[in-house]
Amino acid sequence: MLQKADHSWTIFEAAHLLNRAGFGGGPSEIKTFHALGREKAVDSLLTPLEALDSFPVLPWTNAERVQADRRNYTEQRNVMHEAMRELTPPDAQEMKRQFVKKFQKENRLRSLQAQEWWFKRMLTTQAPLREKMTLFWHDHFATSSQKVKQPVLMVRQNELFRRCAFGSFRDLTQAILLDPAMSLYLDAQGSKKEMPNENFPRELMELFTLGEGHYTEQDIREAARAFTGYQLSAIKGQVTFRPRQWDSSDKTIFGKTAPFTGKEVVDLIFTQKQAARLMAQKLWEFFVTENPAATIVESLTTSLQQHDFQVGPLLREIFLSKEFYAENSIRSQIKAPVQFLLTLLKQLEITDPPAGFAITAGHQLGQVLFAPPNVAGWDWGQAWINTNTLLTRYNLAGFLTNGAGNIRQKLTKEQRKNPAMDRILDEKNQVWTGPNYEEIAPRALRENPTELVDLLIFRFFQAPVTPKARKAFIEYAKSKKGVIFTNKEIAELCHLMLSTPYYQLT
Amino acid sequence: MKTRRDFLRSTVLGASATWTVPMFIERTFGQLHEGARDLATQPTTGKDDTIMVVLQLAGGNDGLNTLVPYADDIYHRSRPHIAKKEKDLIKLSDHVGLNSAMPFLGSLFKEGDLGIVQGVGYPNPNRSHFVSTSIWETADPTNHSPTGWLGRYFDNACPGADPTVGISFNKTQPEAFGALKNPGVCLNSPELYRWIHGGGEKAQAEEFFADLNQPDDEDEPADGGSIAMPGGGKTGGIAGEGNLAFLERVAMDARVSSKTILDLASKHKTRVRYDGTPLARNLNLVARMIAGGMPTRVYYVSHGGFDTHNQQLNSHDRLLGQLDSALKSFFTDLKEQGNDKRVVLMTFSEFGRRVSENASAGTDHGKASCLFLAGPGIKGGLHGTHPSLTDLSEGDIKHTTDFRQVYGTLLTDWLKAPRMKPILGADYAKMGIIG
Repeated sequence: MLQKADHSWTIFEAAHLLNRAGFGGGPSEIKTFHALGREKAVDSLLTPLEALDSFPVLPWTNAERVQADRRNYTEQRNVMHEAMRELTPPDAQEMKRQFVKKFQKENRLRSLQAQEWWFKRMLTTQAPLREKMTLFWHDHFATSSQKVKQPVLMVRQNELFRRCAFGSFRDLTQAILLDPAMSLYLDAQGSKKEMPNENFPRELMELFTLGEGHYTEQDIREAARAFTGYQLSAIKGQVTFRPRQWDSSDKTIFGKTAPFTGKEVVDLIFTQKQAARLMAQKLWEFFVTENPAATIVESLTTSLQQHDFQVGPLLREIFLSKEFYAENSIRSQIKAPVQFLLTLLKQLEITDPPAGFAITAGHQLGQVLFAPPNVAGWDWGQAWINTNTLLTRYNLAGFLTNGAGNIRQKLTKEQRKNPAMDRILDEKNQVWTGPNYEEIAPRALRENPTELVDLLIFRFFQAPVTPKARKAFIEYAKSKKGVIFTNKEIAELCHLMLSTPYYQLT
Repeated sequence: MKTRRDFLRSTVLGASATWTVPMFIERTFGQLHEGARDLATQPTTGKDDTIMVVLQLAGGNDGLNTLVPYADDIYHRSRPHIAKKEKDLIKLSDHVGLNSAMPFLGSLFKEGDLGIVQGVGYPNPNRSHFVSTSIWETADPTNHSPTGWLGRYFDNACPGADPTVGISFNKTQPEAFGALKNPGVCLNSPELYRWIHGGGEKAQAEEFFADLNQPDDEDEPADGGSIAMPGGGKTGGIAGEGNLAFLERVAMDARVSSKTILDLASKHKTRVRYDGTPLARNLNLVARMIAGGMPTRVYYVSHGGFDTHNQQLNSHDRLLGQLDSALKSFFTDLKEQGNDKRVVLMTFSEFGRRVSENASAGTDHGKASCLFLAGPGIKGGLHGTHPSLTDLSEGDIKHTTDFRQVYGTLLTDWLKAPRMKPILGADYAKMGIIG
């Protein structure tokens, strides 16, 4: 067990917990959270009152609609094949091309809708840790709609992650073996005993459970034979085990010989302590700090094993530990793009960002939901930041705060051709009027630049900033004050505060 | 010893007109080491120097369907569904032919401006995308190096500390750029590569911004090197740098490079048509930077999607076709600019693929593969020997050329690094690929 933190806690610690275990919040949200006390606050995160189905579903993920869509697709395809027989080969090819194009277009649109849907859910949920764990699992069992190409399967997988957010790592791994999206992503569904596909067993061992150096090439080749026969039914959208396609002969994995099935290989993997160690370390790095001390990892590994791979109790232990609230932990993590965008919106009290904002911004900052770059998931930490993404973060803040004035006017004609930027700045968004500054910076407080800056520092940083930065903010505020502090000047002050390296930390 | 920060500061000072009257800058820079100003005039990297473009084929390019050993029966027997027939190839020799999706590279080969290195790899190959990519990017087969091979070139062979010595057009900074001192910069769209702020007293806002986006003097390390905190390394940042120091340094690099890049990119307009693919778009940007006279020595671009486990025939050909078309536009553009002789392009991929196809008419992760070297500076033709299809290692061809030989030759013979060893850790046998 890790050493527990004291019962009493500061508002900065409460903000730290809400930032890491969720997506932060505005000052009033933090104050309410702080008032719960440390234990009750952690409990509220782990046992949320919000029901799993309390969020409206995307219409095309409704079970009946999915069935109808699949039937419709099959019928149309049959009609097309019938019609193709009458055509010359080039015409038939063209017909097929058009057919594929039509469905691709629909799927692309749905893929965007799914991104927007999940982002909105993360922004407005009352169960932030559950959403954050859903994101964690999405990154861990990384699957991309770019290859899967069936948005409904990606949403189904997302629902699986949410359902199992605090559950057993082993059970979730078993469920992933039968997950249609993963089966398409890692080519598991086509693997037959005559020619087993190594993709799934390799990533299962290397990335999902054990890590490099804890298995041999031989283990993978043998396991590949065990993972044969898991077929995806296109009509049902389900993976089923077909014993006839399965290689039933003996396999030797980790020195044990038996006619293993895939399911049995997963169970075999979870008898290794390394599976618990990999997950314990990854959870700590995701929520606390990179490169934890060996003693912490060892302690968490033991806990995870004792709890039979249930992650809920482990998260509780982490969020109640003294180490989690250590000085070198608070405001030391680089915000992932999704975290950056969500905390920014919450701090600016925006619940309804301009349409397409989340999608475009995520794309520019390098984190597109449902589309991690590869099966290893995203590179976290410093990898999010380079000269380009940092300037983009500053400019996105300028757009949201309205502190950059009318960005659209500042871009020359040619610059506006950039499709990504254009989506942010489309006609609909031209009327974007920015946050409600009357609420964020009440008029009564604007008379005193120092008080105003301190108020905004708590809102944006929830911790003291360096004296140098505070001084710069105050001087800027003073220089802006002039006759009257209008919302325009407040917006520009906020934009400056957000255009800093320090703001990128949480 | 001048630190990198000193240098950047002096560059900012020297170019202060672009960041407006330096009231705040002056105050903060008050205690600047006196000598730092001298460095501002020091040429960093020559703007007429040679340039290398590194093009990553991400996912593991199937070398055997790129440069096809059509005369070998084993090739056809191992790949009943996906083998390329002799008549469908651009023949390069009695043994091998080029995938016909690449007519431009075929013509470049005939003109003697395309070199193909056969059977490139490294000892004890790793079949993981991530580990093997890392090995290629760090040039360290033990996968322990915290810096990349190009980052070490910037550190060791490029005087000054101009962050634009290396530019990658990626969402993330490539591991190859990881450095102890100067990891280059990363950008996507030059038009947006700047801080866009509110109107009014423009100058003033920029001063405050500049002040907030530079490292603090107090935490400056003694020699501009690393701060003793773990982390980084894998991401193309400065090895061993803490998160806040890292952010401040990137902010500084962004400020220093933003104005130059913006100006230069808007100067050059091309008449050559480029495809809409990300690769073509990025090579177009590279061409504009070169035309604009950037002092950049290395550009890095990526072309993804080569992990062809499944029904690969059409998708692989399409990827090679996109590569070919993008390179055609790029080299035509460079020729029109008169810069083609300054530029050499090298492709690489983390590994090749298995000799035998799999049950899904695709190919699984393999080992050695081929790579392309393009440009008038290259000695055209086939380099190295094509690996045997019978003498295999776990079903894969064995490498006949170590990729570090290619790196070493390019670094010394093309990029004029005085020595290979400080960059690659050892001296590798040079190849006759330049000239």
